[in-house]
Amino acid sequence: MSAELRWSQYFLGRGPRFRSFWAQHLEQRERRLLFILGRGFDPRMCAGVRAILAAGGTGVLDCLLVHFDEGQDSPSRRHDELARENQAALEELLRPRGAITDRLVRMRSAEGRRIGSRGAAAVVSDLANLMRYTDVVVDVSAMPRSIYFPLIGKLLYLLDRGNTADSSTALPNLHVVVAEDARLDRSIRDVGIDDTASYIPGFASDLDMEATAEVPKVWIPILGERQATQLERIYHLVTPDEICPVLPSPSLYPRRGDDLLLEYRELLFDRWRVEPQNIIYASEQNPFEAYRQVHRTVRHYHQALQPLRGCKAAISALSSKLLSVGALLAAYELKQLEFSVGIAHAEVQGYEMGGTDDEESGEAMARERELFTLWLAGECYEP
Amino acid sequence: MREPRNPFHLRASEQIESDATFLRLFGPGVLDLLPQDGLWDRVQIFRSAPGGGKTSLLRLFTPASLLTLHSYRSGEDYKELYQRLKGLGAISDDGPQILGIMLSCARNYATFEDLAFDQHQQERLLHALLNARLILATLRGALALKRLEYPRDLDRLVIRPPRHAELPSTLPGAGPARALYDWACSVEKRVCETLDSFSPVTGIPIRGQDTLHALSFLRPDGILCDGRPITGQLLVMIDDVHKLTPGQRRKLLETLFDLRAPVGVWLAERLEALSPDEVLAPGATTGREYGEPINLEEFWRPGGNARRFEPVVINIADRRVKSAQDIEVGPFAGYLHDTLDGAEWQAAFERACATVAERVRKRVGAAARYQDWVRAIEFVEGTPRERTLAWRALEIIIERDLRKSQLVLFPDLVLAPEELGRKDDSEVRGAAEFFLAHEFGIPYYFGSSRLANLASCNIEQFLALAGDLFEEILALELLGRHGVLRPERQEAILKKAVRRRWEEIPRRIPNGRDVWALLEAIRQCARWETDRPNAPYAPGVTGIALTMADRARLADPSVRKRRPEYERLARALSSCIAHNLLEASIDRSQGQKGKTWMVLYLNRLLCLQFELPLQYGGWRPKTPDELCRWLDHGFRPPKNGGSSLL
Repeated sequence: MSAELRWSQYFLGRGPRFRSFWAQHLEQRERRLLFILGRGFDPRMCAGVRAILAAGGTGVLDCLLVHFDEGQDSPSRRHDELARENQAALEELLRPRGAITDRLVRMRSAEGRRIGSRGAAAVVSDLANLMRYTDVVVDVSAMPRSIYFPLIGKLLYLLDRGNTADSSTALPNLHVVVAEDARLDRSIRDVGIDDTASYIPGFASDLDMEATAEVPKVWIPILGERQATQLERIYHLVTPDEICPVLPSPSLYPRRGDDLLLEYRELLFDRWRVEPQNIIYASEQNPFEAYRQVHRTVRHYHQALQPLRGCKAAISALSSKLLSVGALLAAYELKQLEFSVGIAHAEVQGYEMGGTDDEESGEAMARERELFTLWLAGECYEP
Repeated sequence: MREPRNPFHLRASEQIESDATFLRLFGPGVLDLLPQDGLWDRVQIFRSAPGGGKTSLLRLFTPASLLTLHSYRSGEDYKELYQRLKGLGAISDDGPQILGIMLSCARNYATFEDLAFDQHQQERLLHALLNARLILATLRGALALKRLEYPRDLDRLVIRPPRHAELPSTLPGAGPARALYDWACSVEKRVCETLDSFSPVTGIPIRGQDTLHALSFLRPDGILCDGRPITGQLLVMIDDVHKLTPGQRRKLLETLFDLRAPVGVWLAERLEALSPDEVLAPGATTGREYGEPINLEEFWRPGGNARRFEPVVINIADRRVKSAQDIEVGPFAGYLHDTLDGAEWQAAFERACATVAERVRKRVGAAARYQDWVRAIEFVEGTPRERTLAWRALEIIIERDLRKSQLVLFPDLVLAPEELGRKDDSEVRGAAEFFLAHEFGIPYYFGSSRLANLASCNIEQFLALAGDLFEEILALELLGRHGVLRPERQEAILKKAVRRRWEEIPRRIPNGRDVWALLEAIRQCARWETDRPNAPYAPGVTGIALTMADRARLADPSVRKRRPEYERLARALSSCIAHNLLEASIDRSQGQKGKTWMVLYLNRLLCLQFELPLQYGGWRPKTPDELCRWLDHGFRPPKNGGSSLL
């Protein structure tokens, strides 16, 4: 098992660097872009497309618009009008440059079973469909984790397999774009959390296997605000032997880590008796830092617990989208390296927006927004 | 991991990783719910809401728990539990007498239905995976029972299946356990890899199996360790059955009843409201092959056997207090002040007594009918609380009588004090106490007995509430202010805890908004009915009821398809029952002759949130249409003042 991290050298652009990177990237040569984004009420839905269009370029810019159908009863339905407005804005933006293809992902089966993650992985079924593009950009700003985790996992898998199969063919670059907005994130609340957590398809590994049931389990939850119920439900799924919570530090708000510890003190210290030295810190604004920390933690435990046949690790992203992407990268790479690593997640019926103490208009929130672009696979990683 | 500061916060059995701690905290009274006969050789289903104690019960019978209990059997904290399990035949002075295998269905079984296989293939896959996991769990348990290491010592085990067992050719037969282990590992690995792959699933990964063969050939006398059978009895405990899809669950039950395996099989699942009736195999009869399902909350609930639950949870609380690090050992109830007869409440009761007495005298006026009753109460002796209670009870009884007196032949007839004695029953006293607390701001929700009531027969709910109280006790100890929690403080802590839970309902629970709206409407209805001056449903209304016929309509998918509002209501009710917000009691005969009811009582914790009494009994009949209206518009009091008393 190699100790070299796949993303030890990485590209991350934020704020002004987001714009300069895309301007430069699109200027180099004609780029054909496929944008994959989720249709939803989140005001950030079009922020990435708008910024990249503004950066220049003349090539085609197609869009795969993922509609996640949460059902008639979903609390998100009350924001349908916002979702329609977002879609209209997207159509307006892309009209001169490309076509929009709709993909429906049903979040529940007719019997009420969760099927969204499996459906999300099937949104991109074949590498051949991607080969006419130079760049695939996944904008996760308006997507739930249960959609973008399997989707990005599948894209990485297809590109990795394509690389192995034929190294002479140029594969598209893979980028992930996030419009990070802590205030907006605070105003969006999970509603109707599922009774039971589950492992995301593609990231279940052997965590559920009876054959390795006695192998110690390590759980790495990346903590965010108001996630106590999700934490409890994931805990019951994983039943870990060791817990290593990840706190955001450094953070824009320096006391955020302390506040999270206060919020979860009963769960972490009274009920689950987490050892304070198990706490991991990762930069709130750098997903590759979270990736590195999680990666290192899993390797460390695996090595230390070798006499007990190593360890199984479950990662749970309960924080911002940026840190969640970091967790996803760690889980993906460790899985490829045949570590026993999964992503445990508790889904929700929908979301509600508004209701923060410092509620502000959409425009005011937009001023706080910062765009991040992560280049995950392609030219910049070629030798 | 560190020792707990507040042991009440260790709630689920999964959180207590040490077997010795788990056994020390386990209340032996819980074993009361096990049937006395046929425990080890039939299918037994256990049901409860989350936190009812199913998993803890199952864990008790695993090899690790039984071995630990055997080692500690002479210890004071373990003696009673040891004797109870010895009486059940699970353990003896020689050690564990059963091999308990625990298997959870909270795994990837449900995802089979996402794959493009036909139903028959899915069933074969389910059987194969269950067989593999049963075999693996049994081999691990067998080694644990012999204190051997898994999987290193598998070579010391030999499998000897019964001669007549019809086993598939793919399954290794008699011989070393290692071959069986390898086969099971390979089956499980292939299935899990298929389910977890990013590649499209093109074909069924294994051949699959027709039934749960593992149960037929895994006999305790057929698993030999160093040439000798490992134990006399095998018990397979399948937890979280509700996490299978409805089809898989039905198939599992059918298979188990068909198989009539020579082992005990216990199934634990959460309550699933309005689910289709269970399909039982034709010819199977209750008794020998399977026992009547045991609903844990129903077993403890006062309707079944009054006050069963209270001593059990108080015993559990005492055990928790005993294991706390920062406090002197003492019974939990001793930390909770449970009377209002102390000096600090005397003035409040004196004032309340004067107010109520004056109100009664004014209401009665010069009418001769109640003069002897009033005189009788004036001479009542006792504490201020007892006297106030007597006056308030009299007020209720007079109010009831006044409402009926229009129909009485001799309204001026003086009523004898003996008549008052007959009417002044425990229900009226309960209502009087509740009304007094409500009117004069006197604590009502306090003391260990009411705390047990507030738990609604759910052990985890009890531990959560007791944990919050114990947190305050720990704080007082830390400050050196030893003593007991005063009633008003207990009530304040409990109210704060329940308010938090109430506010979290929309987030925590599927269909949370509708659940909230429904419960809020029930609150409005219950409050309106309870606060009526004559307390017609003393001590108060804390539930609603649907006829069993209406329940069947709600449960019928074709009806729900025609009536989307019923679908919405059914989901909200289902969420309420599954999360123990409403306690369902079905087939209740009460009121109109020939009608049976599904009574839905509010969880007693919600009674605290809604300031309702804690006693069961008062419920109002409702129709599905009425409840559908409640979801959007809430409860509207009837214009004619209410329907007839049930």
